[in-house]
Amino acid sequence: MSEHHTPLIRLAKRDAMARGQVWAIRASSFLAAILISAVIFLVMGHNPLGAFGTMITGALGKNTAIRQTVRIAIPLLGTALAIAPCFKMRFWNIGAEGQITAGAVGASYFALFWADRLPQVPLLLVMAAAGAVCGGLWALIPAFFKARWGTNETLFTLMMNYIMIGVVKWLQGGPWEGRPGSQIIPQFDSAAVLPKVLGVHCGWIIVLILMVVMFLYMKFTKQGYEIAVIGGSENTARYAGMNVGWIIMRTMFLSGAIAGLVGFIVSSGADNTLHAGVAAGVGFTAITVAWLAQLNPFAMVAISMLLAVLEKGASTLETQLYVPASISDIITGIFLFCMLGCEFFINYRLILRGGHREGAVQ
Amino acid sequence: MKKRLLAMLLAGAMVFGLAACGNNDQGSSQTPAGGNTPAGTEETGGETKTVKVGLICIGDENDQGYTYNFIRGKEAVTEALAEKGINVDWVVKWNIGEDSSCEEANIELAEAGCQLIINNSFGFEPFMLKVAPDYPEIEFISCTNQASWTDDLENTHNAFANIYEGRYLAGIVAGMKMQEMIDNGEITADQAVIGYVGAYSFAEVISGFTAYYLGAKSVCPSVTMKVQFVGSWSDATLEGNAAQALCDAGCIMISQHSDNTTPATAAQNAGVFHTGYNNDMIPVAEDASLIGTRIDWSVYFEYAIEAVANGESFDQDWCHGMDEGAVVMTPLNEAIAAEGTAEKLAEVEEQIRSGELQVFDTSTFTVDGAELTSCLALDTDGDFVADSEEAVFDGAFHESYFQSAPYFTVEIDGIEWLNSAFG
Repeated sequence: MSEHHTPLIRLAKRDAMARGQVWAIRASSFLAAILISAVIFLVMGHNPLGAFGTMITGALGKNTAIRQTVRIAIPLLGTALAIAPCFKMRFWNIGAEGQITAGAVGASYFALFWADRLPQVPLLLVMAAAGAVCGGLWALIPAFFKARWGTNETLFTLMMNYIMIGVVKWLQGGPWEGRPGSQIIPQFDSAAVLPKVLGVHCGWIIVLILMVVMFLYMKFTKQGYEIAVIGGSENTARYAGMNVGWIIMRTMFLSGAIAGLVGFIVSSGADNTLHAGVAAGVGFTAITVAWLAQLNPFAMVAISMLLAVLEKGASTLETQLYVPASISDIITGIFLFCMLGCEFFINYRLILRGGHREGAVQ
Repeated sequence: MKKRLLAMLLAGAMVFGLAACGNNDQGSSQTPAGGNTPAGTEETGGETKTVKVGLICIGDENDQGYTYNFIRGKEAVTEALAEKGINVDWVVKWNIGEDSSCEEANIELAEAGCQLIINNSFGFEPFMLKVAPDYPEIEFISCTNQASWTDDLENTHNAFANIYEGRYLAGIVAGMKMQEMIDNGEITADQAVIGYVGAYSFAEVISGFTAYYLGAKSVCPSVTMKVQFVGSWSDATLEGNAAQALCDAGCIMISQHSDNTTPATAAQNAGVFHTGYNNDMIPVAEDASLIGTRIDWSVYFEYAIEAVANGESFDQDWCHGMDEGAVVMTPLNEAIAAEGTAEKLAEVEEQIRSGELQVFDTSTFTVDGAELTSCLALDTDGDFVADSEEAVFDGAFHESYFQSAPYFTVEIDGIEWLNSAFG
């Protein structure tokens, strides 16, 4: 009778696993992703080895290709860094998309209307500051509501994305429109464009500096410690005398400000203009990056580069082997699925009914 | 219990199997599109030349409108050039946004060895222009845009077609139908109202609906027109709703400058008539759709690709219309069109072809009650206000004369803009 009520498969939290074992699981999940992708390539009538080779040479084979790959990775890394402190605090900021866009709006205002009044370096600094402030303020709104009235931050930040994207659509068709009726904001003056270093706009330097700063901030500062305590238990933090609401708002402002800086980098460095798709889904993909990296800033570099290689490689597959873009998306999905899935198996184990007597007794 | 687990695994395997079959189908249907050209490359016997051409599209063929029309051009030119001994090896990027992803797509195609790269959407141009200087040996084309004459680059090109000629003819079909209804006493003269679904109040759209209105007016003098902008090049629901609203406001003829067929079906449901764009819409609305017009891109593609194959240079700014067959009419719906429409169409088409008839003849319309005597065509300083080249001369406004991209933006009498929120 009791067996009847036992579910077929149960989950149990694992105790800490040996490091080697953890990495073995990760490596095998990566291998599994490669194997499943290989099956898809086979079904599509392509040689899997050739296809993977094309992806890797397409992403890293030439200098131009490497530059393109890095350009994809920059906003991913920057945004993953932005949401890391929120996630550490267990505040689910799904609004990076809107915060990037808000930052891009702030930066674009100065790029469009101050380019003839300021020399390049001060102009770029003002744009960066405006981007950070706009992104930060946009993030502060849901944080304030959460701190004051305990609203659900996941829904709130998510909805804020669509509002900001709508604002940009209005700007595109209204006050900032270039050629009448085109719905396109003009390209920025060259003074408002981030200079290139080694062939890629210098946003890559900014995000690498951010990475180090974020690591130090989270690991060695009092504020970083407060974030970790709140993430562990809000009541403990309160008991320890921390002003939880204030810390939530401060951290969200910081998070939004970094996302806003990414918005500045993308609009000034990559697009040289503002448009409604400026965030291009990065705000969501970055969640995956942050999660896979387990909020470790250095690991985020590796993960965002991996995703960038997959994306750029997929694009090369389309042009060289005529693989439809949707298949490339499937491959990326398989990799993410396997990599996220393996973290699940690192934390939990499956118990089949009747498989583990000692488990069933409990 | 083990059995149930087995069943679940089996079910999973079946689902995967189905998915795999689905992929397989897709794969085999995809291969002819991309795969036929490399196959052709192998038979290099004789004097076959191969040109590798990149095409960057804002959508894919499923839109059955704008991008689909490019794909038809692509397929037609591949056939036409094959007969001339030129193989076209196409590399196509679908669903590219008007942002830095377009820049990346241009780099990707350039690195893949394309000799000619075609950008199919207006908003692609600024991103194409960032890549073009790095690859001076590759020719870049931005369809429907206009920077090639100001960007100081030898390898950038613009192209468009005089689609206003096709609009004018479609307008004649619509006007003849309405005049016939007036003559038969089905409607009064002032009930001849056209409803036009426009994407944005953008020069290309304004030029198009004005030409359409003038065509209708040339055969139905009492006609008036209402224009509703939807604020999107392609939004099936908005377009259908706008058409429905226009029908409710008393319009008995619907036309459109937007990508979907929903205005045609809305017109059919409301029991009024319709003329289409980009594609033959009779199959979706056989009781309403009279005719359509579209650009035949294969004419320009053939010109440009052949030039590249022969190592010759070609025009940086190209615009032709019915004179070269770059603008064509889709089939006329003889069952519902007014009597004598086909003959009239042939006659006017010949007049346009020979240059005898000017679509924007300034004696046929007024602006605020007066004849249009002066209108500048081009913006040279980048402030988006035309500042040079007088377009009105010899009794007509000369559209697409100084550059391929349309520049007619005058609001003429008889056309009512219901909204201009998207200006």
